Amino acid sequence: MRGKVSRKTIFGFLGPSVIALALIGIAPLLYALWTSLHFFNLTKLKKVKFVGFENYTSVLTDEVFWQAMGRTFFLLGVSLPLQLGLGLGIALILHKPGLTLLKTLARLSLVLPMATTYAVVGLLGQVMFNQKFGVINQFLSPFGGGNINWIGDSTNAFAMIVFWDVWQWTPFVALVLLAGLTTVPGEIEEAARLETKRWWTVLRYVQLPFLMPGLVAVLILRTADTLKLFDMVFTLTRGGPGSSTEFISLMIQRVGFRGFDQGLASAQAIILLIITIILAQIYIRVFYREV
Amino acid sequence: MKMRKLLASTVLATSLALGAVTTASAWSLEEAAKPYAGTTVDVVFLLRPGYEAIEAMLPEFEAATGIKINIIKHPYENALGEQVRDFVAGGDLDIALIDLVWIGNFAENEWIEPMDKFTSNPDLADPDLDMDDFFPLVLNAFGGWNDVVYGLPFDNYSGLLFYNKCLLEEAGFDGPPATWEELKDTYGPALTKDGKYAYALQSKRNETQSADSFARVIWPFGGSFLDADFKSNLMSAESQAGLKFRQDLMQYMPDGIVAYDHAETVNAFSQGDVAMITEWSAFYSTVVSPDTSKVADCVAIAPEPSGPAGRKPALGGFSLAVASQADEDEQAAAYLFIQWATSKANAGEYLERGGVPARQSAYTDPALAETYKFIPALVESWQDGVPEFRPRFAEWPEITEIVQEWGTKIMLGEVTTEEGAQELGSRMEAVLDEAGYYSGEKPLAQ
Repeated sequence: MRGKVSRKTIFGFLGPSVIALALIGIAPLLYALWTSLHFFNLTKLKKVKFVGFENYTSVLTDEVFWQAMGRTFFLLGVSLPLQLGLGLGIALILHKPGLTLLKTLARLSLVLPMATTYAVVGLLGQVMFNQKFGVINQFLSPFGGGNINWIGDSTNAFAMIVFWDVWQWTPFVALVLLAGLTTVPGEIEEAARLETKRWWTVLRYVQLPFLMPGLVAVLILRTADTLKLFDMVFTLTRGGPGSSTEFISLMIQRVGFRGFDQGLASAQAIILLIITIILAQIYIRVFYREV
Repeated sequence: MKMRKLLASTVLATSLALGAVTTASAWSLEEAAKPYAGTTVDVVFLLRPGYEAIEAMLPEFEAATGIKINIIKHPYENALGEQVRDFVAGGDLDIALIDLVWIGNFAENEWIEPMDKFTSNPDLADPDLDMDDFFPLVLNAFGGWNDVVYGLPFDNYSGLLFYNKCLLEEAGFDGPPATWEELKDTYGPALTKDGKYAYALQSKRNETQSADSFARVIWPFGGSFLDADFKSNLMSAESQAGLKFRQDLMQYMPDGIVAYDHAETVNAFSQGDVAMITEWSAFYSTVVSPDTSKVADCVAIAPEPSGPAGRKPALGGFSLAVASQADEDEQAAAYLFIQWATSKANAGEYLERGGVPARQSAYTDPALAETYKFIPALVESWQDGVPEFRPRFAEWPEITEIVQEWGTKIMLGEVTTEEGAQELGSRMEAVLDEAGYYSGEKPLAQ
């Protein structure tokens, strides 16, 4: 009997978390699924009716939905490589021996952008990128860029979102990759450095395999984060000008909470969830390797 | 016989008149509120001067009635969503704060009670209520739906032309432009120089794009959102003329005007960077206060310019209505608060504290126009407005999102006015079709 845990104990420990997960995660998901199969507009509740997959058909054939999806993946395609490049650079610098105090301070300061609330980042952006009074244009004025219309120009507004996303999440990538670098056994790395002086060779053949689990985690988390990126963009540009920064989560919020069509918005959200799961599976199958 | 009849009629009339006088003199807020002392009334307020004004006056009401007013503050952009969710969930709100474009939505969903339910109750109705004293256009547009009054106008706006008379005088003008064409063709080139602009039209992609920018240019040119059959009227020559006018006018506006909300526009004017803006009357206190405006001494106000179809100024504002979900006591207490907040008796103080009452009697004193320079223009604007400046039906929240998206795309030049209006019109018609306007399920009311 020794070592055998009673069912009571198992349920006692696991039960609360399973119940909490069911209440917080599963129940709303099931409700969203139910809603997505109905005409369900908050301002027309007398007309709620089962419509089968009509909402899904509308979403899948709606070019505005796919434009927003394309825009979201374009953002991911632009910002993620920047975050990975800069994050890897920071991680490699912090991994070098010496300057312990400065590195500790640098690690601590890396947490600050991540700890900043998304909505606050958006509001900061409004002030900093203000065409006339913003500090960014003040900073750029000696270089001839003092009158850039950031928020009112489609391309610039998109660039501004990329900037903030990179600013906020590069530290996260750096910290994850730094953690990965610390898992490389010291003797292997030392031996590799005796073999070659080229940092790229060490990175490619010795450090990278240890970074892969972290990279996959970063890919999954940053993809999911980008797909649900909302607060910062909403407070900064509200999806504008035009549709230039209307990413998929802003579109879903617009349909569900400003147009009040919860049925259509739920169908959009379920489709987004399916895309996220497929992407996560692809990342794991293609990139993930145990060292 | 004739004499006896006359005598009897006289006695009856006298007794009725005396009775009326007795009832009138007997009514007091304190007495009316006695049964509801201790009741808490929940209401959503915005972060705007009119709400701060009534909040400052609130202790007087609470002391007199024992009714507690619990104010939940939201920015405008959240106010509709918060209220809809509260009403759908059977929440706590006892009063609905209704932007004029939400009235159809709230009334059709029966979230609000007709005013008549309370005004016909002599225990609650103040004999001095005087509904005829409200500007008819404002009462109808802000509080009425399908000939039923649901709300009393509370926070009231009209679009006005704020102009910097110092800049205009420097450029050789002795007054503001009378027409939109004049603003563009004469004032535009003369005032756009040295990093300053003749005009700014707030056009950010939110309700500002729909109400302040898009609607503002179609109506004076004879256009409208819908025709008599509720089909899109945006491809009409008049609507197109208005939209093309806006595109032409943009050369005299600051860069990035599609990112300008009220704050940026009022700020640009207050800093002296823009000579003219068309803004809500509610921003008067901001532009004339030396604390917030560099050009306070130069500010002058006129009604909005006219177009070929007349003045048709922007119309906006909020009414307060009693929520159906409140219980009987809360409804009565809520009504007493609404009646008090919008009363003739309090209109003067409300105005002094920064609010804009919709009571005609509040503006009769000519001396007021000296203190509040916006009054003559405001009163004039409220004579000639269009209640359906933005359609007030339940589908507006969906349609405004379409207008915001395509209106901005037109301004950015991503699509032509024709392409944008075509797309906007088809999407708008799809929403109206789904709602049942074309099948006859719903009356064509806006």
